[in-house]
Amino acid sequence: MNVLLCSIKTLKGLYDISGVEVGQHFYWQIGSFQVHAQVLITSWVVIAILLGSAIIAVRNPQTIPTDGQNFFEYVLEFIRDVSKTQIGEEYGPWVPFIGTMFLFIFVSNWSGALLPWKIIQLPHGELAAPTNDINTTVALALLTSVAYFYAGLTKKGLGYFGKYIQPTPILLPINILEDFTKPLSLSFRLFGNILADELVVVVLVSLVPLVVPIPVMFLGLFTSGIQALIFATLAAAYIGESMEGHH
Amino acid sequence: MANMIVASSKVPVSSAPSASPISKPKLLLPLQISVPKLPDVTKSLTLKSLSLMAATSLSLAPPSLAAEIEKAALFDFDLTLPIQAVQFLLLMVALDKLYYSPLGKFMDDRDAAIREKLGSVKDTSAEVKQLEQQGVAVMRAARAEISAALSKMKKETQAEVEVKLAEGRKKVEAELQEALNKLEQQKEETMKALDSQIANLSDQIVKKVLPL
Repeated sequence: MNVLLCSIKTLKGLYDISGVEVGQHFYWQIGSFQVHAQVLITSWVVIAILLGSAIIAVRNPQTIPTDGQNFFEYVLEFIRDVSKTQIGEEYGPWVPFIGTMFLFIFVSNWSGALLPWKIIQLPHGELAAPTNDINTTVALALLTSVAYFYAGLTKKGLGYFGKYIQPTPILLPINILEDFTKPLSLSFRLFGNILADELVVVVLVSLVPLVVPIPVMFLGLFTSGIQALIFATLAAAYIGESMEGHH
Repeated sequence: MANMIVASSKVPVSSAPSASPISKPKLLLPLQISVPKLPDVTKSLTLKSLSLMAATSLSLAPPSLAAEIEKAALFDFDLTLPIQAVQFLLLMVALDKLYYSPLGKFMDDRDAAIREKLGSVKDTSAEVKQLEQQGVAVMRAARAEISAALSKMKKETQAEVEVKLAEGRKKVEAELQEALNKLEQQKEETMKALDSQIANLSDQIVKKVLPL
């Protein structure tokens, strides 16, 4: 009996240390609607980081680039490369969309792992990566859907809907279903990966506070980067797919 | 009082919870869903063994802990979604104005400038070839000039040497002529002297042979 009590007490203690709040939100009331304030606050920080660093680095471009400008040129070339390989020669107008998708998700994910959000106490819920919240990922996924519909319709007009009965009309239901599964898989992949990553780190920290979680943290950073790249690449691939002709 | 009990139950691991920055009641990991049951377990155990006071305090525990249990709202869609979408679009426009367009244009311009410079470098290579040819021609001309000068100088020295030779020869010839003339003269003189001696001798011979 004592053993059982002790183990329960120990567990309780561990839970208290490792307290992670899953699905707890700090609500703000706007009119008759509610918003998740912790998500908005962290996304504002992410946006501020992106805009601030971009302004500082690109303010006065030099012919021979220095550190910051060099890095930003590298990032821009990377984004252009991703867009070009997925979309093709007409990638130009889509660079801002793909690039912002990649940068926003990447900085969001890494902010969740690297920024000490826990220092700031909220009345309810806690600050974490903005991509930790299903609202963010679904918003990005829906924007991607809108983007590829827009790309297809502007490129091919109503002929875009011809792709639903290709290669054969039998595939019509599957083709329609794809339009729903694409944003669903995009949003849930990102959401699940980031949430799971943060949970794994928290649980490991609660069990062994020293050394052991470090590899998992690095794995988390790696996963975060990969997820950002996957989201941006898939968005570009969907856009490219809807723009390419089935002649 | 429930908190007291919980706090007392924390004693074995007291250092760790006190270090925790989380002071508020929270819903914890999925594992922790069992936590609300904790008082029940302790209650059933303590009711048998512990004092009535503890029992009554624990009986108050469930409501206070129940307040902590909040439905986990993982899939809680609300106004955050459209706000995030709008924020993303604004960020896209801002980054396009601040980053992609200006830096992209700058990079493209630089690429064009470098390509142009490379092209002009190719053009000057023809110029360089021309200059090289000119240089070769100049060298050839210089070499020819030098060889001409050399041969001219050779000729001049040759002529000079010949002149000197001729002079020397003339001088030698003149000296030779003089010496020969002198010899001739001496010869004539000796002949004359011999002639007179011959006349004397013949006179003496005649005198001796022909006695008077």
